[in-house]
Amino acid sequence: MADIKINHIAKMEGHAGFMASVLNGDVRSAKVEVQEGIRLIEGVLIGRQYADMPTIAQRICGICPVVHNLTSIKALEAAMKVEVSSETKKLRTVLELGQIVHSHALHLFFLSLADFLDMDNDIQLVTNYPEETKIAIRLREYGMDIVRVIGGRVVHPLTNEVGGFKKAPDAEALRKILMDSEARLADALALGEFFRKIKIPDFSRGTEYVCLGKDRTYAIYEGDVISSQGLHIPVEKFESDFHELQKQHEVIKKVDHAGHSYMIGAIARINNNRDKLSSNAAKYLESLNLKFPDYNPFHNIWGQVVEVIHSIEESAKLIKELLNADLNNVVTKEYKVREGVGIAAVEAPRGTLYYHVEVDGNGYVKNVNIITPTAQFLANLEDDVADYIKEIIDLEDKDKQKKLRGFIRAYDPCISCAVH
Amino acid sequence: MEENKNKKPRVAIASLTSCEGCQFALLDLGERFLDFVGKIEMVDFRLLEDEEDPGVDLDLVLVEGNPVTEDNVKTLAALRKRSKLLVALGNCAAMGGVPEIKNYHEGANTIKHVYKYINGISNPEIKELDNFVKVDFVFPGCPISGEEFLKYIPELLEGRIPAIPDAPVCVECKAAGNKCLLLEKKPCFGPMILGGCNAVCPTARMTCQGCRGLRPKGNVKAMRATLKNMIPDEKFENIAEIFGLRDDIEAREKSAG
Repeated sequence: MADIKINHIAKMEGHAGFMASVLNGDVRSAKVEVQEGIRLIEGVLIGRQYADMPTIAQRICGICPVVHNLTSIKALEAAMKVEVSSETKKLRTVLELGQIVHSHALHLFFLSLADFLDMDNDIQLVTNYPEETKIAIRLREYGMDIVRVIGGRVVHPLTNEVGGFKKAPDAEALRKILMDSEARLADALALGEFFRKIKIPDFSRGTEYVCLGKDRTYAIYEGDVISSQGLHIPVEKFESDFHELQKQHEVIKKVDHAGHSYMIGAIARINNNRDKLSSNAAKYLESLNLKFPDYNPFHNIWGQVVEVIHSIEESAKLIKELLNADLNNVVTKEYKVREGVGIAAVEAPRGTLYYHVEVDGNGYVKNVNIITPTAQFLANLEDDVADYIKEIIDLEDKDKQKKLRGFIRAYDPCISCAVH
Repeated sequence: MEENKNKKPRVAIASLTSCEGCQFALLDLGERFLDFVGKIEMVDFRLLEDEEDPGVDLDLVLVEGNPVTEDNVKTLAALRKRSKLLVALGNCAAMGGVPEIKNYHEGANTIKHVYKYINGISNPEIKELDNFVKVDFVFPGCPISGEEFLKYIPELLEGRIPAIPDAPVCVECKAAGNKCLLLEKKPCFGPMILGGCNAVCPTARMTCQGCRGLRPKGNVKAMRATLKNMIPDEKFENIAEIFGLRDDIEAREKSAG
């Protein structure tokens, strides 16, 4: 029996290694070994006032706090039947688009790119590609500016709450973002040209792509759960169709759909919703000449480039609409604390994030369940890797490890989120 | 420890169990962070490099997060041994952070809300870094402030321990032109909490919940008296739990007699 063991995979969010057993060319097991401690975020929320929930829950993740903040707030609003204004929904969508831009730009450039250029670290990467580095940093800054202006801070935003926002964003600052958007779109397209030329490995394995879907909209803030196999259910039914399963000694509850693994995130959204992309994003995707359904998980990288382009165009469009509306309509209006159950989903950079919350009549949280993107795609990642190992089995150990690290990183896992 | 004369200071940034938000607060400095990286020899920073940590002696290590797993505890002890200075990066490392909430309520039993199988899962009481090793300096906050990092890191790189001025959050809050949240009867902890965060929360109309910790002269008694008309005692403790402040407040009150 030959084992492949990677002690620690760097350049991703959280701590994990990898272990596979191979016998006579047959992959017996392939497993991401989680090295992250438990923080029991769901457990500490139970018994607390609902208003603390977004503050605490968003601290699940330092790279995608916005989506934890948004989804927990949406779930609480669903539980207490709190309506928010159309401007609030729009502003929250822009907030999430900003989150997607800066998270994708980080992953694309600083976490994953070196793998495709055969480099070991980013110091080498930024030295060899100074122009591209500057573009990647500018793109990140565009996304971060959006979160800063709307949310008050990039890591762990502050303004968003049940019912709306504590304060309206500064219209001048929004206008400045809008003015920047054209140059950033040019940046994103230039980076797209660069990524088009990198050599991405051939590998393919069929799966089911799951994400949110909505009429005439590339669904981010809301929608139904749809899949490439024709599934179409309301978000409230997610937990009856998809199941979390904890195995002994494991701290991530992996999720399956009717007993099989499935894929989410940029590549899933592109596969299911590509006809709803913004014009430049659609054009760029077309220029990649991909065949759909596209089952090469490495193409998640390209999917993220497409989404950076889309998110810049879409955020600019929505900001323009908001500047023509009354921004004060985003400010929280009085609402009643009510007993209820709320379920909500938002597209995080890495896939759909689900929150289930139960609140009592005094606003205390009775129960919480949080289903993160990485917990959902981990089984698919392991199934993919088991197949991929067969293709690289004859390489030297060191090269095999390198390929596997690159493969796992292309998925953009967030182990901190998955354990929470 | 071997001398590292005329060379760039050797630095590692390590992450225990956490959201890694403090590392992202650094990375989010963009080019200014890359400038900082250019001035040091980065021995270990897992967000940017894949190479194994060679285990050499360090001038400075910045540690984020909570020691939760046995590996976390071992990593922390090993880093302390290797490094001249060990600095806590952020609220979890310095004060316990949101995971510490469990200490105040169901403790180890909190796990039963989350997992069916609990055997073999490390589920310790959450403790700050200084319960395990000597901590030379704290970058406070949840997350840390990138600007504050840039302000104090040069001193640390020269082997000196900076001092954050003992001023409440209110100083920067007033300077920002904010209307005082306490005047609106909102329970803001600003007066007893260490400033330096640019009052980012009250500026966003979010009350200060104390993530940067008590300032040396922070007057808990006066704070309690001010908030008494706004919230019941239970609510005061609840707010103080969010960022692991409650045990520090209790210790301060005990020592004041």
